[in-house]
Amino acid sequence: MRATPPPALQLPPALRAARGGLSGRRVQTAVIAAVVLAATAACTLALGLLVDSNAPFDHAFAAQRGAHVTATVTPSAQLAAARPSGVTAQAGPFAETTDSVTIVIAGRPGDGPQGVFQTQLTLVGRGSPGGPVDDLTITAGRWASAPGEVVLDRNRRGPAPLLGSRLTVHGAPGSPRLTVVGLASSATGTADAWVLPAELAKLRTPHAPPTAQLLYRFARAGTTAEVNADIARLRAALPPGGLLGAQSYLTAKLRATGSIAPWVPFIVAFGLIGLVMSVLIVANVVSGAVAAGTRRIGVLKSVGFSPGQVVAAYLIQVTAPALAGCVLGAVAGNLLSVPLLGQTAQVYGVGTLAVPFWVDLAVPLAILALTAAAALPPAIHAARLSAVQAIATGRAPRPSGGYAAHRLLARARLTRRLPRPVTLGLASPFARPGRTLVTLAAIGFGVLAVTFAAGLTTSLNRVAADLSRSTAVPVQIEVPGDPSAGSGPAAGAKAGPGAAPGGGSLPSPAAQQRAVLAALHAQPGTRRYVAEADDAISVPGLSGRLSLTAFGGDSRWTGYALVSGRWYAAGSDQVVVNTPFLTATGTAVGDSYTLTSGGRRRTVRIAGQVFDPSGGTPEVIGGLTALASLDPQLAVTQYDVTLAPGTDTALYTAALNRALGPDYQANAMSDSSPELLAVIGLVGALMLLLAAVASLGVLNTVVLQIRERVHDLGVFKAVGMTPRQTMAMVICSVAGTGLAAGLIAIPAVIALHHTVLPVMGHAAQTAIPAAVLHAYQPWEIVLLALAGLLIAVAGALAPASWAARTRTASALRAE
Amino acid sequence: MDNLVQLTDVTKRYDHDGTPALHHVSLAVAPGEALAVMGPSGSGKSTLLNLIAGLDRPTGGEVSVGGDRVDQLSETGLARFRRRRVGMIFQFFNLLDDMTVLDNILLPAQLAGLAAARARTRAGELLEALRIAKHADAYPARLSGGERQRVAIARALVNRPALLLADEPTGALDTATGEEIGELLLDLNHSGQTLIVVTHNPDLAARYARRVIRLVDGQVASDAAVAVRP
Ligand SMILES: Nc1ncnc2c1ncn2[C@@H]1O[C@H](COP(=O)(O)OP(=O)(O)O)[C@@H](O)[C@H]1O
Ligand SMILES: [Mg+2]
Repeated sequence: MRATPPPALQLPPALRAARGGLSGRRVQTAVIAAVVLAATAACTLALGLLVDSNAPFDHAFAAQRGAHVTATVTPSAQLAAARPSGVTAQAGPFAETTDSVTIVIAGRPGDGPQGVFQTQLTLVGRGSPGGPVDDLTITAGRWASAPGEVVLDRNRRGPAPLLGSRLTVHGAPGSPRLTVVGLASSATGTADAWVLPAELAKLRTPHAPPTAQLLYRFARAGTTAEVNADIARLRAALPPGGLLGAQSYLTAKLRATGSIAPWVPFIVAFGLIGLVMSVLIVANVVSGAVAAGTRRIGVLKSVGFSPGQVVAAYLIQVTAPALAGCVLGAVAGNLLSVPLLGQTAQVYGVGTLAVPFWVDLAVPLAILALTAAAALPPAIHAARLSAVQAIATGRAPRPSGGYAAHRLLARARLTRRLPRPVTLGLASPFARPGRTLVTLAAIGFGVLAVTFAAGLTTSLNRVAADLSRSTAVPVQIEVPGDPSAGSGPAAGAKAGPGAAPGGGSLPSPAAQQRAVLAALHAQPGTRRYVAEADDAISVPGLSGRLSLTAFGGDSRWTGYALVSGRWYAAGSDQVVVNTPFLTATGTAVGDSYTLTSGGRRRTVRIAGQVFDPSGGTPEVIGGLTALASLDPQLAVTQYDVTLAPGTDTALYTAALNRALGPDYQANAMSDSSPELLAVIGLVGALMLLLAAVASLGVLNTVVLQIRERVHDLGVFKAVGMTPRQTMAMVICSVAGTGLAAGLIAIPAVIALHHTVLPVMGHAAQTAIPAAVLHAYQPWEIVLLALAGLLIAVAGALAPASWAARTRTASALRAE
Repeated sequence: MDNLVQLTDVTKRYDHDGTPALHHVSLAVAPGEALAVMGPSGSGKSTLLNLIAGLDRPTGGEVSVGGDRVDQLSETGLARFRRRRVGMIFQFFNLLDDMTVLDNILLPAQLAGLAAARARTRAGELLEALRIAKHADAYPARLSGGERQRVAIARALVNRPALLLADEPTGALDTATGEEIGELLLDLNHSGQTLIVVTHNPDLAARYARRVIRLVDGQVASDAAVAVRP
């Protein structure tokens, strides 16, 4: 005998009714949990990345009262510095100069790179790190307090020297020496190095015009348009020609967030797709449960259930599994974010990044609320039914919009040849048009996710290939550098151990060239090669560095993807530039632009725009003679080689390395960056997740359908339908819907792809070449349209085999 | 063995521990026979019919129909057996509401893969013979009970089964219509159709069957030939 529980333990009636309803619907409960899980995971990931891509920068910028605008001005302007309207804080003027320096890193052995590095630095004279704007954070050591002391920007590109390292400033008279006494960081990177104001005059290159830096915070600087307006007012307030350059903090922000930001739009798109799908499926589950439980509702009401209790019963049925899905989904979202956030945290040295706690809290709650909201309309519909009406409807045959469809499919010339189970299945969606539409939408979004992910993967792979240029340039030879400059690898960016300080054992550039050319000519398989020189210089008016890439010959074939315009004509003053250059200088393809560096000037014509985001660093690519006149340090650092068809890259590289000896390094290029692999993995994971959600939606629909038609199934079997025919019928009942969903979704996907990729490009500060956008081949589109069919069949398979196995006699007894 | 149906020591349990719905039942039905199965509600009549029709499997014993060991067939084998060897009609007709009368009748032929033209000819004959031809394109819900049962009979016969099984075929019909259906079944038997009819109605059994068995608590309580009525 079972004891009645004491009254305190008795569940409220609504809860008990819900429990009764749940136990009969285990599959639907599992479907709700799984669907909500996937949606929560995708949304947690999306929002987490969105927040984290901004968080480190925003935090540092706020803490340091970062400069909205960093202005480079002439001394006359600096004297007349008036306060334009809208300024809330101002710092400077600080004298500024750009010098080429040699850094001698004398670290303890094993403490990272050591050696001699040649680079260019923007030096600023500041008496103290603090101030109303750009309140610098000292991360190591102390501020300069005596002549001969320098503080370096921690986030400067290139090797990080230890405290006590020496700098030699080459451009200045007498090549003064400085000692690193501290490392500091500026949110917007206002300088590469700081010295005491009195010191700066001694560090200027002769003939270089004296310039100064003014730092401003404005009342309104949230958007690019607002910052541009601020700059215009600043320009107006200064004497004509006084403003040499103005740098928006948004550029620095983009650079800081550049590694996650490009992926955010598509992850948000995936999150939204997941959200819509889960709402659709939950609505389908609940309205299915209401339809199947109409009689039960009538009975509950006839024994005294209030409408409120009926609504509560249905909401509890949905929210219990949804809650479980939300919790697990948040965990899954956090796990999925690890590879990408980890990569970013490493790149920007911001410690560990994780999905913020409030996101972990807000997303599951929001999705739970949304799930309940999706369940509400059918639950209210159930609550409004009168008891008598509900009992009567529960008995009546199911609504049948399917008569005509059945007839048509049974008789139509086109379908008469098909086996009867197939036409029976194909007709069944018309019996419940509402549910079919929701299922269609769920599959459609699944196809959207799959196709979008496939296209994105194609595009990302093409981006990777374009960026690494590994198809055009399968082999690169690094040369040891220019000994006459007394340096290791010329550009600061090319960090690595250089030659021993003062070492003179390296061959001269001419000798290097002879050695490399001899090896290339002797090696079978060499098809083409060109000498390449890279350097990074500082240019007034551009924050950060300007990358220079120069080729010593025909370079059309080196694999840069052109977004617009043409490749530069060798031997002319033409160059090609990347999108960040155009953005930073406000120029367009076809314009001329005068580059200034260390007192040298060179006017170039912009022939084309290349696809090379370079993390937002402006880049100029041109002929070696043209660019070397701007930057005498520009020396050949590598040779780009392309091979004759059929040449084995690995064997070729090995042979070349043997021929060249230890001073040179021939490398086979590969086009996979770990970050891109992480993203492609993530895309794959999200794709599988959302395809699974769509299949679960189908499974739910088919389960509902089988439950409702269990008696008909019994009849079919009684008159001789085999298990195989039963499966065919059930699968065909959603196959048509799946196929239709695929066909409808494809144009939507192509539109989405063409929308999201440029947004991603915008976040990465680059325009996207047309070849990257056109990710879908015609045959791929056909294949992807079949994805709907695949999702439908995958979802229907399990319930179809349940249907095939139902016992005929008991199915017939079921009323 | 010339019996069309042969049950040997058949037991059927729905629950492991409960009393069996059929308990050691043995029964033989010869071709051309008309057998009535009677007994109180819950005595196992439907269970017996379902086992013969291959809609369910016995817990013990042998069921063979026309030489096929029904208890040993696979699921697919059972489906083929049902569509070829037996036709079955039910108290509540079990027609498919969203298909027309003609489509209901054609269904077993289509499932069996019969050529479309031949199936239509056969269905046409049955529609005529059962006097429901004018309803061919109607939906079952619009038909009277008697008409629906005729549609069910036509569907049961479309594949020319050796055995026709009827589970209380008149149970949902008024007396006059019930008698009509009874006559129809009798006519079929006269033209050679083997028939097993479950019925509550002793009158009907006496009038339309040549042999009556009584089931009580899952066991055959009596098995007797019926004297031909004057
Ligand atoms: N599918 C089933 N599951 C469980 N019990 C059943 C099932 N079918 C019949 N029974 C039980 O078996 C017994 C015989 O039922 P049935 O053959 O339908 O009797 P009758 O047709 O003579 O009224 C009854 O007690 C009934 O409850
Ligand atoms: Mg019965």
